[in-house]
Amino acid sequence: MNQNLTLLQSAIEAGKRKDAVALTRSLLDEGMAPLDVVEQALVPGMSVIGEKFKRNEVFVPEMLIAARAMKECMVLLEPLLVAAGVKPKHTAVIGTVQGDLHDIGKNLVAMMLKGANFAVHDLGTNVPTEKFVEAAREHGAELVCLSALLTTTMPAMREAVGVIRAAALPKVKILVGGAPITQEFCNEIGADGYSPDAASAVDKAKEVLSA
Amino acid sequence: MNNLTPSKNGRELLLCALRCQPVERTPWVPFVGVHGGALIGVDATAHLQSADHIFRGLREAAKRYRPDGLPVAFDLQLEAEVLGCALAWAKETPPSVASHPLGADYATQKLPTFSVDQGRIPFVLEATRRAKAAFGEEIALYGVITGPLTLALHLRGDDLLLDMFEETDEVPELLAYCTEIARQMAEAYLEAGADVIAVVDPMVSQIGPHHFEEFVAPCLNRIFDHVRDCGGLSSLFVCGNATRNLEAMCATQCDNISIDENVNLADLARVAQAHGKSFGGNLKLTVVLLLGDEDDTRRDVVRALDQAGTAPGFVLAPGCDLPYAVKTANLETVAALVHDPYQVEVARRLPAKDLDDDFADIAIPEYGAEKSVIVDVVTLDSAGCAPCAYIYSAAMEAARAFEGPVSVHERKITGREGLAYMKKLGVSAIPSICVDGQERFASIIPDRRELIQALSDAATAKGTGRASP
Repeated sequence: MNQNLTLLQSAIEAGKRKDAVALTRSLLDEGMAPLDVVEQALVPGMSVIGEKFKRNEVFVPEMLIAARAMKECMVLLEPLLVAAGVKPKHTAVIGTVQGDLHDIGKNLVAMMLKGANFAVHDLGTNVPTEKFVEAAREHGAELVCLSALLTTTMPAMREAVGVIRAAALPKVKILVGGAPITQEFCNEIGADGYSPDAASAVDKAKEVLSA
Repeated sequence: MNNLTPSKNGRELLLCALRCQPVERTPWVPFVGVHGGALIGVDATAHLQSADHIFRGLREAAKRYRPDGLPVAFDLQLEAEVLGCALAWAKETPPSVASHPLGADYATQKLPTFSVDQGRIPFVLEATRRAKAAFGEEIALYGVITGPLTLALHLRGDDLLLDMFEETDEVPELLAYCTEIARQMAEAYLEAGADVIAVVDPMVSQIGPHHFEEFVAPCLNRIFDHVRDCGGLSSLFVCGNATRNLEAMCATQCDNISIDENVNLADLARVAQAHGKSFGGNLKLTVVLLLGDEDDTRRDVVRALDQAGTAPGFVLAPGCDLPYAVKTANLETVAALVHDPYQVEVARRLPAKDLDDDFADIAIPEYGAEKSVIVDVVTLDSAGCAPCAYIYSAAMEAARAFEGPVSVHERKITGREGLAYMKKLGVSAIPSICVDGQERFASIIPDRRELIQALSDAATAKGTGRASP
């Protein structure tokens, strides 16, 4: 295996953005296809950090610096991927529910989904319920991800699930998450899946989409 | 229980529990935040911008929920607003921080000078003083302050978490700045009459023990030491899954740790007790208190009490601030259980919520076809429960005095047959008297005359016998 790929993966895991960008540039200069850089270094790097996160070996700050490093590499890679006609496998809409302005968890999930070859439309925070429906329709999304950090905004998540269900979007699956959310709450409000952390969100997204 | 500390009232009882002293019952602290607004018919925005609304919400909560302690205001944006964070207001939630004045740099010297006389802090302090005067001798008051990590994130934004990896002094300096603000807030609350300072730092659930110990714990300890020097008690509230930080949190200088449903209460009980700390939690805020019913609430209270165990130092509470529209009946149910151990025993007998048992194999009488009036007294067990014994005895006496055909049966919910009667008769409370299949007296011992009249009405309805009340 190309040593620079191994080094790039390690740089992503450690969140060393300057090293990661330099290695990405070197790999491209060497003639490696941009999709190979993504699939052989960035995705495995994020996957390793995600697994460590699930095992409680690293925490949100470590995930954030890894995601930041990946994001900076993607600035170089994305135009090349588009030019090469590489299309994402799935499309997702993501946002923090109305009344809630927190975005760390939501941003991490968006980044992990991007790393898993999802097209992600990030609606930001404090998203009115109808915006989720509009965006899902506009982008032909198969997945809507709802985040909430506050217990007090959990009712808004319930409302969003109800409105999305009521809209004529039969193929859309709904994934929920956020610090106060539980599987029990997910079941209660009728969402399709719950992810306890950003790292598990990709697996859960794939699971609900294949169901 | 031995060696009980005699307690005059709820406040004293709670303060003893917070000090890990044995008490005769579990103290209860509903974290009434914006829900106080719902109790007095105003939205969250109006509620958190008026000393009078905050006070009236507290007074109503004190009346309805019979708490041993109450937080005065649950608003983690009070300090941030004074320091220049823009707030986005909502009708059913506390405001949220919408801008980070230190987003570009760490120039705390450019922030407005902080004092407790600014922003909405005077409203909250006035509400504290009024609550102290009105019921503060019976109910302990919690002054809620924003923890240093959460306040630093309000000011700086998420970059703070990334900056923790840079080897500079900026993050510790900002946290020290936030700590000084917390100390001022704690002092002001204590002067206004608060008994306990709750340092609420939900962002602690997002970092690991290493960062917590390096950056946050020293700041928290400066706050807790100051609270102790001022004569108050302190609690560290962390909403979210703080499991990985429990050891480190319990190693701080606070008196009490409070967590929400994301943490296993039994885990906290074990760690807190090892550190000699009292602890609290973790009634399920949404699935149970907001969306569930009274039976769900009863089950959850029993779950929390059992996980907390019998060692001293447990405070029953939701883990975080209550949703605006939380069901009042559910909180009243918690209060009923806290104040009546018998209700806890009844709750223990409730069938599991997901119990898929229609008791088809247990037939109950066809009441209309029976010649006698049938009285089913649904109890926990009249042999071991005083209210059950009284109500059963009242039914027997009324039956003896009633000059018509009547039979009285005790249906104990300690067995499956009793549970079948409870379910099929739609019994709403234990003990309960049902006459010919209709619940007539739920959790109340009826006046003898009333009960005989009920028997008479039933007899008349089926055309057997006459009453002689």
